[in-house]
Amino acid sequence: MSKRHAVLFLAALPIAAVAAPETFTLDPYHTFPNFTVDHLGLSTIHGRFDKTTGKVTLDRAAKSGSVDIVIPTATVTTGDADKGSRARSRDDHLRTADFFNVAEFPQMTYKASKISFNGDNPATIDGELTLLGVTKPVPLTIVRFKCNPASGTSKERCGGDATGKFKRTDFGMKTGVPNVGDEITLLIGFEGNKE
Amino acid sequence: MTDFLNHPAVQGGVAPLVVALVVALLLARSRLAWLAIIAGYLTTIALSTGFQFSPLTASRKIVLASVVAAAVGLAADIVRAQGRGLATVLALVAGASSLWIFASVLAQRQGSALYIMAAGIAAFVALLTASVQTLRADGLRTGAAGVGLGVAVGVCAIVSASIGFLLTGIALAAASGAVLLAQVVFSRAVPAGFTGAFPIAVMAGLFAAGTLTLAELPWYALPLMLLVPLAARLPVSERLPPIARAALLVFCTLVAAAFPIAAAWYAARGSLA
Repeated sequence: MSKRHAVLFLAALPIAAVAAPETFTLDPYHTFPNFTVDHLGLSTIHGRFDKTTGKVTLDRAAKSGSVDIVIPTATVTTGDADKGSRARSRDDHLRTADFFNVAEFPQMTYKASKISFNGDNPATIDGELTLLGVTKPVPLTIVRFKCNPASGTSKERCGGDATGKFKRTDFGMKTGVPNVGDEITLLIGFEGNKE
Repeated sequence: MTDFLNHPAVQGGVAPLVVALVVALLLARSRLAWLAIIAGYLTTIALSTGFQFSPLTASRKIVLASVVAAAVGLAADIVRAQGRGLATVLALVAGASSLWIFASVLAQRQGSALYIMAAGIAAFVALLTASVQTLRADGLRTGAAGVGLGVAVGVCAIVSASIGFLLTGIALAAASGAVLLAQVVFSRAVPAGFTGAFPIAVMAGLFAAGTLTLAELPWYALPLMLLVPLAARLPVSERLPPIARAALLVFCTLVAAAFPIAAAWYAARGSLA
């Protein structure tokens, strides 16, 4: 290796270090998949899953990344957990085979191997949702993204909001359609710490 | 029209009743009239969830098992198989099949919970199948058992947070009622044979087990459901006209159905009030 090549190689090292993919572990206390669904054409029901785990990998230099999320379906809640004088609450019903079928499918997953960037920030995720044993593409749009740099003992922390839509009947969840809407709108708030 | 067909009362009640009644009236002079049971059930499936078998979930396996039960029952009658031997074999096969049907749910359990649930479901389905099949020589008693079991499963299901099994349970009741009605119209009892008794038992057993595993039916409602076919065996005078016999037998099975319903209600509410 000539002296000139050695200098170029050494000069490139810091760039190579920056270009390495970074892995972020999702913070389950600040990561919640929220969803909305139409009810009788009258109002919008809001729900969410109370627990989410997973990792996001970003290669900001190569403008690529991946997502791997696991959501326990039993953690679904729509603000109606107390059955009161009724036989069952809405959240109880959502866990049965009519909807999320928790006994047979305790988890749903979202996996993506392609993240597109807009400038320096991730903009869209082309991933696949696996729900009720059915896997279908569900693209997500990242509407907000920001990273706080590492400081003191804190690691770099990134977060944002992602949105998307899908039809629940595509996954075999047909109960109540059309009275309870078919189209599900997702709004996922997420935060993750760099490993 | 779409709104009409999307209504749960149509999907689980009116449509299976009409289809089963047409089939039962057309075939009323033979044992084939009992094919109305599976016709009514499949009508409800067509209108509610549709025929989709991938992935093969427990609910979808129940659809397949019901069709197979109807075919096996018909085949048994065509070859004129008789005797308690075949009835016992069919009951054992139905019980064993329930383990395959609910395998994906059982796989989520561990240790003693797995074995207790598996043995409980298999025993319940086998006992119910054996019990209903003892009625097969009497079309009115078998039909009344179908009505009682359908109502029991359907009402238990809605109390246990399952619309799916509500619809299929009521569909079973409606279809059984249609075959009863056809017998009353022609003033002629049509023995159910295996064509009628076997699918009624398998469907009711699997709907109830499904409501237990996939919704929130308490386990103690299952043994109480066995009272329904027993109620259909209560003595009712053969001299009564078919309409009176059918009404009395249906009344008996509905009274018996109140017991598992009360159990489901108690589990949901913490009291019978």
